[in-house]
Amino acid sequence: MKLIQVFATSARREVVWLKHSYWDLAIISWVPLLVVAVLWWTFSAGLPGRLPIGVMDQDHSASSRQLIRFLQASPGLLVMPHYNHTAEVTQALRRAEVYAVVSIPPDFARSLKQGRAVQVTLLHNAQLGTHSSLVQRDVRSAVATLSAGIERAARNKRGEPALASHVSLEPLRSSLVTLFNPALNYEQFLAAALIPALLHILAMTAGAWAVGREIRDRTVADWLGTRAGYASTAAALLGKLLWPLLGLATVGTLAMLWLTIGRDWYPAGSLTWILLALWTFLALSLAMGALASSVTLSLRTALSATGFITAPAFAFSGVGFPLQSMPLLAQAWAGVLPYTHYIRLQMEQLQMAAPLAYSTPVLVALASSAVFLAALSVPLLNRCAGQPNAWGSR
Amino acid sequence: MRLQSSIWRAWVDTLKNIAADKGVLLLIAIAPVIYGGFYPWPYAQETVTRVPVAVVDLDHSNLSRQITRFADASPRIEVRMVIGDERLAQQALWRGEIEGYAVLPRDLKRQVLRGSTAVVTVKANGSYALLNKAVLSGFAEAIGTVSAGVEIKKLQVSGQSAQQAQAGRHPIGTQMVALFNPTEGYGSYVVPAVALLIIQQTLLMGVGMLVGLWAETGQHRADAATWMGRILGFSSVGYLSGLFYFGLVFWIHDFPRGANMTGALVLLAVYIPAICTLGALLGVWFGNRERALQVLLFTALPMAFLSGFSWPAEALPELLQALRWLFPSTAGIQAALRLNQMGAPLVDVAGYLIVLAALTASAGGLLLQVARPGKG
Repeated sequence: MKLIQVFATSARREVVWLKHSYWDLAIISWVPLLVVAVLWWTFSAGLPGRLPIGVMDQDHSASSRQLIRFLQASPGLLVMPHYNHTAEVTQALRRAEVYAVVSIPPDFARSLKQGRAVQVTLLHNAQLGTHSSLVQRDVRSAVATLSAGIERAARNKRGEPALASHVSLEPLRSSLVTLFNPALNYEQFLAAALIPALLHILAMTAGAWAVGREIRDRTVADWLGTRAGYASTAAALLGKLLWPLLGLATVGTLAMLWLTIGRDWYPAGSLTWILLALWTFLALSLAMGALASSVTLSLRTALSATGFITAPAFAFSGVGFPLQSMPLLAQAWAGVLPYTHYIRLQMEQLQMAAPLAYSTPVLVALASSAVFLAALSVPLLNRCAGQPNAWGSR
Repeated sequence: MRLQSSIWRAWVDTLKNIAADKGVLLLIAIAPVIYGGFYPWPYAQETVTRVPVAVVDLDHSNLSRQITRFADASPRIEVRMVIGDERLAQQALWRGEIEGYAVLPRDLKRQVLRGSTAVVTVKANGSYALLNKAVLSGFAEAIGTVSAGVEIKKLQVSGQSAQQAQAGRHPIGTQMVALFNPTEGYGSYVVPAVALLIIQQTLLMGVGMLVGLWAETGQHRADAATWMGRILGFSSVGYLSGLFYFGLVFWIHDFPRGANMTGALVLLAVYIPAICTLGALLGVWFGNRERALQVLLFTALPMAFLSGFSWPAEALPELLQALRWLFPSTAGIQAALRLNQMGAPLVDVAGYLIVLAALTASAGGLLLQVARPGKG
């Protein structure tokens, strides 16, 4: 038989199976689509707003009320009813009813009037990292706005020209620029990183399932024949993996297009390159799954391995906690995981506006790994097809 | 008496079944232990230090060299290169050799001597939130220190105290006090929450796998007492992995812990049965041994971000805010952080416990319906 025929026969055989197996079809079609949509929707706000904080005003002056108004005006904060006692503050923080409490000291207004520096205390719940860093940022900027206004008023009263006073006091000033994602938009940052991580898990699962199912159900020989050659088994493997690749990569493509063009975000790098890399990455993930089943000859073990490799891949990728701050061996493990490399490429093209030359080696490496792993599973599958006593393991 | 004995028998049978099934044992007894070491591993260092940066020095003065030295002394950043061209810094950024850089302008020293403010632009890679923060604050602190040094010299000449100057420029300061996770460590923030998710996922898949296997041959059908014994059997193993995390894992990694240990034990007693009941229901629905793995492996990711510990629940669309309570992990994580880390009394988490109990009751009711004896 010609290889293309073997490929087509294997693909057709899989279609027949998928038509009858509700779950097997669902998990490579509408389930990924639905979950990807949920992930996007989770972060669709971009930046969380109106995080509840409390205020303990011990001064009750015009100045302290002004500070509270500044806090209320910040879109990221929702100022809850005020507290009068430390016990109330403790309780509210422990219940996480509020993520932080701003405490204004009793001599707030007096100190300001006398030209002394005064400290406002922000008690924040550092156990909730994102919440607390967003609140810190907004409170700090509300306080700084009020502080700047007071400074300006004091200077005007003294009759100093604004510019001269500023200059004489501050010899060096830093202007801080966040490149690529200045608003720290989580939709563009986290949703864009999590969707490929999710598809990675689904793709390795699908690869393991497609191959492992034949071994479990003792149908390997029906699928490959008992005396198949290397090329013909390779063609049959590709024919089988065609459907999960089409299903998952189409979902991935739709997701990336929606996140970018669909949301009026035109990435500085090459979207085409990202999509090319995504297809390659998912093909690699499928090959990893196929190899896991071919090596273990057990669908269950292959799926357990899939969980171990792909589920924590995001934690090791450096997107949340930076790679360079991990222990060396953890960095090495991260370096073996393909998601780490894919997501770096995606960041380079989606956000960092890197020229394609920087993102080329990773694409080549992903593609050759996919070919290599698929090629490794072929002889293992051939051997398995000839050994009926190796089938049926669960 | 007969009721008690059939609960007892089902409990023992379930434990035997778990012990005899390599796959299930691996998932519900061994995987939690492996993940307990594996998952906190990348965060061992907790904080981000010595982030590689560059200094683009266009001034070549002793002042610009001083800024570079101060930046290098900051624990947050490490100056890997001092170059004379911003384009080189940009390329190093793309290659991942540095995560940010400061541009010290030509005339930096002259401007300062003349008494005008010199602006140092700091640029950091915004694609990585923590690196971005480390680079910006590392440079800002170094520049602030050098600036203050220059200022003090000038003030001494003009007869003003440094304190007066500070009060004049920044009348109100903000003092940050980090509660519950005082070092603001990343692992301390993520792992105590994800632990609950690991417990849930391993248990859910293990229970789903065993019950799915039973359902293949119809032997899952049983009366209420037997199901209760089975759920208790699964829960006994699950409870141990809960103790393993709350006690051993949190202690080994020195995460904030044990603020309300009694409360945490009560939480586990409600959380674990909810998971096991749901897992059994899923197993019956799947009716296949391996299906639980296939369908549940990916679910940890969306569940983590819907649970509200890392992504504020306030930012979720209303529908998702409601649906997320269907996963035990949502209430479990919220309650566990309040008890273990924040030290809330049990009554403060009563709402979450009720959600978990309601999940157990409804999944259990459904389970007894679809898996009652003698049907089909």
